[in-house]
Amino acid sequence: MTDRCLACSLTPEAEPVEHRRAQAGGGLRHTAKVFRAEALKQHRRVFGSRLVVFSMLVWPLMQLAATYYTVRPLAATPGIAGRWPLAADPERLLAFLATGALGFTFFFSLVQSAWHFSFERVTGTLELLFLSPAGRLAIVVGNGFGALVQNVWLFACFMVALFTALDVVHVAHPAMYAVVFLALLVPAVAWGAFLNSLLIFSRDSAFLYTLLDDPMWFAAGVRLPLFALPVWIRVFGSVLPLTGSLAVVRGALLDGRTIGELAPTLLGLGALTVLLTLGAVAALRLGEANAQRTGRLRLF
Amino acid sequence: MLSPPLSPHVIRATFWRTWTVTRRAYPWSYFVGTLMLGVFTVGLAHLGLAAIGGGRVAGDFVTATGSADYLGYVTVGAAAFMFVTHGVLWAGKALIQEQREGTLGALLVAPAGRLPYLLGFAAFAFTAIVLEVSVLLGCAYALGVRPAASGPGDAALAILVLGVAVFGMSLVLSAVMITAGEAHITQNSVFLAIALLSGFTFPRRYLPGVLQWLGELVPTTAAMDVLRGVFTTGAGPAPGRTAVALAVGLLYVVVGLLWLPRAERHAMERSY
Repeated sequence: MTDRCLACSLTPEAEPVEHRRAQAGGGLRHTAKVFRAEALKQHRRVFGSRLVVFSMLVWPLMQLAATYYTVRPLAATPGIAGRWPLAADPERLLAFLATGALGFTFFFSLVQSAWHFSFERVTGTLELLFLSPAGRLAIVVGNGFGALVQNVWLFACFMVALFTALDVVHVAHPAMYAVVFLALLVPAVAWGAFLNSLLIFSRDSAFLYTLLDDPMWFAAGVRLPLFALPVWIRVFGSVLPLTGSLAVVRGALLDGRTIGELAPTLLGLGALTVLLTLGAVAALRLGEANAQRTGRLRLF
Repeated sequence: MLSPPLSPHVIRATFWRTWTVTRRAYPWSYFVGTLMLGVFTVGLAHLGLAAIGGGRVAGDFVTATGSADYLGYVTVGAAAFMFVTHGVLWAGKALIQEQREGTLGALLVAPAGRLPYLLGFAAFAFTAIVLEVSVLLGCAYALGVRPAASGPGDAALAILVLGVAVFGMSLVLSAVMITAGEAHITQNSVFLAIALLSGFTFPRRYLPGVLQWLGELVPTTAAMDVLRGVFTTGAGPAPGRTAVALAVGLLYVVVGLLWLPRAERHAMERSY
């Protein structure tokens, strides 16, 4: 039997130029196929039971309500308009916390999906993943994207309804809605790819899962405005893409900022996205090289 | 021969077994996770009080709680929440842990009764939780929190009432978990629901009336009122609420004990 190239299904005897050209086109097709398959796998796993609605909608809503009631006695104090004008209006305070909850749901759902990679290790399918010809980056990006879309759509719809009901959103231009959407989606996918690449080689991913839950909402300003945090926590928070995403979401939706005013934040967010993607590529290369050398699919 | 319903041997043996297992493989993720939630909740209150409240708290908070000490209020709530969540993670998940490890069948044919087994587990959980909550209280102390206490006897009573509530909830949750063969969704739904309904970090009077009534269905709500009387206002445990807390807690214990045999049968039948 003649070996065929997996990307272009041409035999090695084919013309080299033709082969390369087919490989380039086939590479894209191949990536799309892996991406689709991985997202479908996520869908089948996540939607196995109707109970999923709890983690998708009920949990974040209960958390949002508890946070609102906890912060409210601080906002209803005299002189609040001078300290934090937004909180003077209870509805805008709720909207501030709701944007935080939405952003956190985006980014934390990826921590969860990355943690689910440990199940591949337990069930013994992780080795199969690395024996397959599927592009590694396509797997981790597809996995993150699939998890993201499925975990957040319900809560995102609910939030849109909530914002409409509260009538607190005043954007500078309708195009800002697209900016908000992209500022949440793109860094989140990169964040997911990065976490997936790290956790795919981890033996105890539950620990990172724990580590990224509470510190993330605290440092990224999910439940408190950034000015309330000490400088050293803000420095830590600036490494998290959620911080930048929330700054864009809140700036555009609640403060009516224009794209020009948000440009520095958007640039920072873009740089962070590129860094996370490069980090994902590096972690995958390092992990696989290590596995080829030692026979162990783990880095830490 | 079956051991008596409250055999001290079984309690001691379960305690000792769990102690040995935990000493060799301590579940750090549980501890760090619940501790961090507590520390960050207190941290949020601390930073928010300074930056948002300007060191002050709203008048309706003082009316509802009988105390102007917001930070102390949140700390007591965060510590109690850590006590409850960790208690459920230890004692409530004991049986599903046996099921996952494949030892539930062995436990069921053993002559030990279910109540002493779970009491042994709860005794161990209580020891572990007291140590773990002390770490949180130490962190809060460093932030300048000084909770009030009406006296050591009252404090012991309040902790006992919360302990009964946790034990009752753990029994019922054990039955739910082994019946459903699932723990993640059950435990998180319960934790988030009681965080909202039982008034851990905010006065329950803020909630809509329906939710206030729903809160009475879980034993932690009345237990929290007792805890507030002792550690927040310093007025001592209200006798009415103490009686309600104990009654609801014991009702959960009874329901759990009646349900467990059926749940165990169901869990075993399903695995074949």
